[in-house]
Amino acid sequence: MSDATSPPGSRLPETLRDHRKAAETVARGLKSRYRAETRFKLYGLGAVILGMAFLAILFITIISQGWSAFRQSYVQLEIYYDPEILDTDGTRSAESLAQADFSALIKASLRKLFPDVDGRPNLRQLYGLVSSSAGFDLQKRIADDPAKLGSTETVWFLASDELDQYYKGRIELDETEESRPLSDQQLVWADQLRARGAAELRFNRVFFTAGDSREPELAGVWGAVAGSFFTLLVTLFLSFPIGVAAAIYLEEFARRNRWTDLIEVNINNLAAVPSIVFGLLGLAVFINFFGLPRSAPLVGGLVLTLMTLPTIIIASRAALKAVPPSIREAALGMGASQIQMVAHHVLPLAMPGMLTGTIIGMARALGESAPLLMIGMVAFIVDVPKGFLDPSTALPVQVFIWADVPERAFVERTSGAIIVLLAFLIVMNGLAVVLRNRFERRW
Amino acid sequence: MSNAVAEERTSVNNDAGINVKPSHRQPGGPDLTPQTGAGTVGTITVDNPIMSSRDVNVYYGDKHAIKNLSLDIARNQVIAMIGPSGCGKSTYLRCLNRMNDTIESARVTGSITMDGRDIYDRRQDVVQLRARVGMVFQKPNPFPKSIYENVAYGPRIHGLAGDRVELDEIVQTSLGRAGLWDEVKDRLENPGTSLSGGQQQRLCIARTIAINPEVILMDEPCSALDPIATARIEDLIDELRASYTICIVTHSMQQAARVSQRTAYFHLGDLIEVGETDRIFTNPRHKLTEDYITGRFG
Repeated sequence: MSDATSPPGSRLPETLRDHRKAAETVARGLKSRYRAETRFKLYGLGAVILGMAFLAILFITIISQGWSAFRQSYVQLEIYYDPEILDTDGTRSAESLAQADFSALIKASLRKLFPDVDGRPNLRQLYGLVSSSAGFDLQKRIADDPAKLGSTETVWFLASDELDQYYKGRIELDETEESRPLSDQQLVWADQLRARGAAELRFNRVFFTAGDSREPELAGVWGAVAGSFFTLLVTLFLSFPIGVAAAIYLEEFARRNRWTDLIEVNINNLAAVPSIVFGLLGLAVFINFFGLPRSAPLVGGLVLTLMTLPTIIIASRAALKAVPPSIREAALGMGASQIQMVAHHVLPLAMPGMLTGTIIGMARALGESAPLLMIGMVAFIVDVPKGFLDPSTALPVQVFIWADVPERAFVERTSGAIIVLLAFLIVMNGLAVVLRNRFERRW
Repeated sequence: MSNAVAEERTSVNNDAGINVKPSHRQPGGPDLTPQTGAGTVGTITVDNPIMSSRDVNVYYGDKHAIKNLSLDIARNQVIAMIGPSGCGKSTYLRCLNRMNDTIESARVTGSITMDGRDIYDRRQDVVQLRARVGMVFQKPNPFPKSIYENVAYGPRIHGLAGDRVELDEIVQTSLGRAGLWDEVKDRLENPGTSLSGGQQQRLCIARTIAINPEVILMDEPCSALDPIATARIEDLIDELRASYTICIVTHSMQQAARVSQRTAYFHLGDLIEVGETDRIFTNPRHKLTEDYITGRFG
């Protein structure tokens, strides 16, 4: 097929006529080509380093601010279970014990520690060193063991949040007394307590077991964790089956016509809709029309399902498209029906991609706060939710609430909650990666 | 090909066969006269055929891929379909088990019958058809499952085995018939994709015969294999002939000569000539057939 004659008057380029000329030209150009490649590699490396640097800054900032939230100050007091205060009518009955004034015992103990303090304002400052929950602690102790009446024991109590912040070094000593949450003499007492060994920092169990509270030392993240957990459970169990089924139908069974094109365009658009719009939809449909309870994880889960469905559908369709047609033909040729072919052969091969899409969708759902705000999961919820219809809040919403609260102690707790959120996310992703690897290895 | 002028040597054969002229015009329909202007040379009919095609036309969108094809397929025989690339042999093969249904732009007219019943009838269950007409593809495509599961899949979905013991027997017999049992009997749990190319193709043949079809369609089964694997599969085809009817599409004329009893030559969508393999390769009647066989083109 080679035509040896070139049109008259034309000349082939030198590099096409002469082997050596071609080789020399290639050799000359090599240096600048390699330089361009090195430049490109450096750009890539620079981009990666920049990204990692921001990630490092993010982690260092959050962890340095938040790790102190995992420790809490406790104060040791000697408590005398004075029968005159606790058992006023002498009956030792459960009701009279329960209604007694336990804070009086705490105050008595503090006065014994610092006998020189007098005058109501000073005494009030003294009493302010211990958390307001101390009285309830004593109430529980007596209720558990009424025989303690009349005896003395040393008990560790939660310190107040201002004392706790001082022990953690968050109160600058050069601030003026008005701008500090602790007065000068309170600082003196705090130092004395610490010197005597009556105050120490321990692991903050309250943070991981309690719900929200007005008092920072009593506030915990567990209510939000439970709320997020229930919400995500609803989201996962609704969005995964619906998304996968929709993707299978659209990819394998639906005919290609204008309607399916329209559906595809709409799904792609929905994946980019701002999440707060889904919150409005949830408010209008689930709460107003269906009358579901506000702030419930069920409603939160429904709203987040709507939000993650497009992501899962798009990722699942891509995974299905990637299955080689030879497998489909082999299955059909054996006499498998369309559904058998999809279920037995295509779906197992597409599952890793589908799980990846689900991971991405779930991670986004875990971190969303805007749609949950709209359906009311932003309330101040003290109790840890136990079911799908109990009022609750979610982790990102809890972070949002705490970020606005004025007490200084909530600053570290906000960062602590973010750390818990990130840990939750990493565990979820790790689990999903393990699942995905199991599917990939089997085939 | 500017130099392949279509000439017909003799339009009427001298055996006791019928040279069928295709109908050129359907009432109110387009003119379907094939470009060569002549019918198929040779005997397209056989006694007691297992599958029969009459006036089959296949369109991929606007492209007319098969033009007015009529052909019978004889029982327990190997029929080879040869021809240059793009002549429609694979397309015709895929019509026989309705695999063209999976292609959206494909349209098939005419009648293809199996044991007298039209397989394109609305009431025909395509799943049932594919259980009776199996297919082996050009590139070996075992399922990404274990060797055992590959062979057991068909019997399982069609309910051909009563219990696990019967299923084991079916798997062992099929692998044995495909000439693979001795090589894999110790590693049935290994994935099917861990075998060599020739072994994979034999595995595909084993899973096809595990459901005991009546016809096995093979679309260039050896084109991706080395000569030794090819020879083993050709021997296998010869053994399978006793129990199954085999239609094999092949690019290699030598393979067609070795393996088949009847040969059909396709050219640009037309069935040019059909007849006994020996005769086609020693004494072709149509000029196009002769040109192809002697290597003038294709």
